[in-house]
Amino acid sequence: MDLNQRDNGQQNYSDLQLLPMRPAKQVMQLERLGSFHQSRLSFMRTLVRRMVSENWQITSPMFDLDEQGYGTVVYKVDAKYGTFSYVLFSHHLDPESRNDRVIANQWDLTMALCEGTVDAEQLEFLRNNVPKQEAGRVDSRVLVLSRANRSARTFDYVVDELAAGRQPCVDTLAEVGYLYRTTAAYGSGKLGMADWEKVRTKHRDFARPFAAEMFTCFMLRHFSMEQADYLAAQRAPETAAKLNTEIRRYMGIGNSTGLGMAPFLINHPLLINQWIEMRETALARVVAASEVGVDGATLARLETAIKRVIQHLGEIITADERQNKSNVLVGDELKHLHQWLRDQSPILACNHYVWADLIKYAEQNCRVETQEVINTLLIELYPELVDGLEELMDVEESMQVMPEMSVSQLQQIIEEKYDWALAIDFSQFESMGAFWYRSQEKMEPRLGQTNIDMGMEKEMPLAIGRRVRECYDLLCAYSQEHPQQNVAHFIVQYPTYSGIVSRIQTMAQSRYGEIRENLVHSDVLPIHLLRCKLSFFGVSKFDPRSRLWVRNTMFQGAPLISDFGKPFVDDWQFPIKPVLAYS
Amino acid sequence: MKVSKNELMASLKKAFEGLGFQPGDYYDAADMVVWLETHGFDGFDRLQKALAYLNTTAPNHAVLVQEDEQNAVLDGEDSSILLCGSEAVDLLIAQVMQGSAARLQLNNCYNRTFILQRLVKAAQRNIAFVAFWRQEDYCVKVSVAAGAKLPEYSTFAMTELLEPQTLTIFAGKELKIIGEQFSAQLVMGPLLTTFTEAEMAACYLESLERGIEIDEELWQMLDDLVARILVESTESSRAGAGD
Repeated sequence: MDLNQRDNGQQNYSDLQLLPMRPAKQVMQLERLGSFHQSRLSFMRTLVRRMVSENWQITSPMFDLDEQGYGTVVYKVDAKYGTFSYVLFSHHLDPESRNDRVIANQWDLTMALCEGTVDAEQLEFLRNNVPKQEAGRVDSRVLVLSRANRSARTFDYVVDELAAGRQPCVDTLAEVGYLYRTTAAYGSGKLGMADWEKVRTKHRDFARPFAAEMFTCFMLRHFSMEQADYLAAQRAPETAAKLNTEIRRYMGIGNSTGLGMAPFLINHPLLINQWIEMRETALARVVAASEVGVDGATLARLETAIKRVIQHLGEIITADERQNKSNVLVGDELKHLHQWLRDQSPILACNHYVWADLIKYAEQNCRVETQEVINTLLIELYPELVDGLEELMDVEESMQVMPEMSVSQLQQIIEEKYDWALAIDFSQFESMGAFWYRSQEKMEPRLGQTNIDMGMEKEMPLAIGRRVRECYDLLCAYSQEHPQQNVAHFIVQYPTYSGIVSRIQTMAQSRYGEIRENLVHSDVLPIHLLRCKLSFFGVSKFDPRSRLWVRNTMFQGAPLISDFGKPFVDDWQFPIKPVLAYS
Repeated sequence: MKVSKNELMASLKKAFEGLGFQPGDYYDAADMVVWLETHGFDGFDRLQKALAYLNTTAPNHAVLVQEDEQNAVLDGEDSSILLCGSEAVDLLIAQVMQGSAARLQLNNCYNRTFILQRLVKAAQRNIAFVAFWRQEDYCVKVSVAAGAKLPEYSTFAMTELLEPQTLTIFAGKELKIIGEQFSAQLVMGPLLTTFTEAEMAACYLESLERGIEIDEELWQMLDDLVARILVESTESSRAGAGD
């Protein structure tokens, strides 16, 4: 937090450019990005707000399942601006064939989100292609293609309990939190689907990044519970119970995310910058709002939210020792912060910029993950200052060389904006101890170890820091010989550097710029990249399975379709176990 | 078969990477192909011709052979605009930014129609361009107003013998300035055909709405090029994906 700016009484906080934003050198550290949690700007949150407030109507003109729950279901979605169809195929899958990896080729469920209504001919086309996923082809009427696998631990248990006329035990459900786990949601024109540009310009209901993909997962959640109810009723028509509404809200959708997501963050730096800038703008607005102190009710809301996060963290079950330890430590630090807030509340109520004080206190006394929990909770307190930013999460992604720039100016930009890259000693083996490549298996991105794994010569260009270093060294030598020359001439001399030059020049104009990490270091933790993106999606309950992939839950705690159109308080983040009336 | 624009971009980028293009080059080359195809300029046919050459040689760029304040000459050394189009346009932009108008001649280069996309993109920096070249027995002229999203594309009968593999580009703050400064060099023969902005826009919207038709053989050819950048999967490499 730039307190010098904050203390300037001439600040105009209505102007985004003048808000006291956190500096890039703090925000863009990979560990911090990997500590982000969902916020009001996360795509699931904005989608849910829209669906509830606009009262989207969802019906099922086809619910054709057999007694085993296999068959075809079509949901008709009447959103505010258009009609869509969510087509789902439920298949028998041998448990030994159940695989969450990208390289899998069979799933329990496969789904497609389509524009308009679906006739018999299109349904047949989808039936022939959607179950094949990457091995099939769809067309531009399809917005999203997805698939999911059953949770071996919970699905049968829930159906058994419901068939027996009982509600499943919340504690048992809490160990998993979902009935199905999605392993991919493809959009943006893959496999013949509609381009993002078409979705953005033609379908206002899904004209925000990943809105259609998130909706596909939301509908999967809805179906998963409808299917459980259906199967229980098939088994015991007279006595079966329906899943309790509170439990339904508590149930989410599982998600497995691996390295496939990591290159996205490096290949879309302008988009990532935009997401982070909006989140940081939200935080800055919140801090600015506390200029003359905060009232007791707001402080109390923060205290309640902190207690909720402590409970949420305590309920996460993960086999990952590092994550477990982190959850405990963050919980302890939040308890400490909670007490600090209580002790300080009489003073805080009239302090200038209370939230800046809290953020500063957290930065001095807490680990990065706790700091980011606090930041997220502060953003939650002021929906009126934050929610409008959701319309600014998209950006045109175009890199452009500025050929007229002098080589000395480009050198200076690198020294200022890429100082983190110049600080890396690439002569050390560890600094180039890893490399990213695409496997022949479905082009899956993988991380190899230099001098051990094959394929270094086909490395993906994700080592931005190293490339910047190479470019800088060449520039220094070139500018010694041609001090008056411009970038155009440098590129004519070294044409293979045009890509990194355009990236440097373009990103230098952004507020947050690049992720400041050497992604080819031996000890790189790609899981931070995954978690950063997943936080913008809006997932919770991170459960790392290694440093390369993570399980999590989506929409846990979110409203149900039956809640659409009803009064709604958007506070379903950090889900906690429901307390049922009968328990 | 039909593919989406995004899908085509992704495939082309990787295919060009398979041909040895570097990151800046394969982004630009993919942009050029997609732009031409989606705006009705037979991008795939032109791509197939380019691939026949690119597939047999290492990527090479143009070299600067002559330059003064308002003129530059590059030798494409028989390369493709897919590889040397960007550096030519960048050089021209740099010259225009220092003066009011400039001229660049790129000799010994192929697939010149691909330059359209680079000129339209560069025009977003409020620079106008006029380009012309000989195509078989006629002349192609392209004009892009400063800030324009689409070019004017026309063909003319030839009045003088242009070098067969040369591309000439003029740039200035406005089309009017280019016309004034280089009027003698921009005299064309009788107009033969014009491809209107409306036709280009209609092609683009159609491709966005219904996808882009691509010959399966060409799609397979791209897949084969993409395969060059893939690494064989082994048990050990699977561990590098999270097993």
